[in-house]
Amino acid sequence: MRPEDVLRAINEARGEALVVPTMTAVPAWRTIAPDAPSVACVGFMGGASSLGLGLALAQPDRRVIVLDGDGSLLMQLGSLATVAGAAPANYTHVLFANGVYQTSGSQEIPGGAGVDFAGMAEAAGYAFTTRIDTLEELRIRLPELLSTEGPVLVELAVEEAELTPMTAPGGDPLRVQVAKLRERLASGG
Amino acid sequence: MPENEQIPAPLIVEALKEAFRGQRTAPAAAGEPLGWVLSVPDTHQRSVIRELEQDDELRLLTCSTEDEANAIAAGLYVGGAEVALMIQHAGLYASVNTLRGVGLDGGVPIFALVGLLSREPELEPRESPRSMVRFAEPLLDTFEVPHALLETRDDLGLIPEYYALSRERSGPAVVLVGRETA
Repeated sequence: MRPEDVLRAINEARGEALVVPTMTAVPAWRTIAPDAPSVACVGFMGGASSLGLGLALAQPDRRVIVLDGDGSLLMQLGSLATVAGAAPANYTHVLFANGVYQTSGSQEIPGGAGVDFAGMAEAAGYAFTTRIDTLEELRIRLPELLSTEGPVLVELAVEEAELTPMTAPGGDPLRVQVAKLRERLASGG
Repeated sequence: MPENEQIPAPLIVEALKEAFRGQRTAPAAAGEPLGWVLSVPDTHQRSVIRELEQDDELRLLTCSTEDEANAIAAGLYVGGAEVALMIQHAGLYASVNTLRGVGLDGGVPIFALVGLLSREPELEPRESPRSMVRFAEPLLDTFEVPHALLETRDDLGLIPEYYALSRERSGPAVVLVGRETA
């Protein structure tokens, strides 16, 4: 799957969900969904799953979608247990598994393509986990993945992205994203 | 009170509630916690953790790492919730990049109670022979994070004061817990 196609499909299905993209998902998401209520995790390595957990706990009536990477999640792998323990029903963890640290030059992640993230999430205690290999299947299952009682983790077999935060910097600084989304949520948006 | 008296945990929990109430614009709705406490268990503050486990108004969430605690706090803050961290000095050192990214670059008001485990009560923390104790204040100074030392009940007002300070400056503020709580 091309990550950009995945992001377009998620944007079409997301409804009122809050979105936390990280690393290679960031530049494409900025273009595909410029008005989505989002806050990106760049610069605090592997923090997307935790940032999304905090949002999900504070906004239990809104679905939260975390657009995570395999290399990123490995940096904070314990967050699988923390998310499972907190058990947010409104949490969908989308894992882009390309097997490499693309942003830093596509070095293979520890364990390479053999790491079973969906299996680890299930073992940690996520309410529902699955792995999807084709865009067609993802499109069909997205409504379920965004409404099933969570925490949900869906591992996606993806190619490398067209852009990375290094090749396509830009967008609002984190401070501005934080302030904008906080204000938007406070006003019910 | 005697100089070496430990601060009872219920007083610290009440100070946290005062801090949260001071920032809320509306009372907590039914089922909504007054605020969240994110903990990576700290030996120095273990009596407070026990107290929080029984508390009906505050929600305690144990995190796997202090990095997580900082990022979860950011999400809770963006979502409109009140939140404090309870960690120990080793966890502060372990999570400086996330504190930098979230608290400084992100402008998130991270407030943390940081336990100075093994601190010698007769010494200023900077004078401790233990590096874990000695470098806490210089590290916070390097990151331009305001901090204060909690030692006796007379210092309990530091908790709401520094919580409010974190909100005013849109950045981190820390209260170092200089003695084990009771």
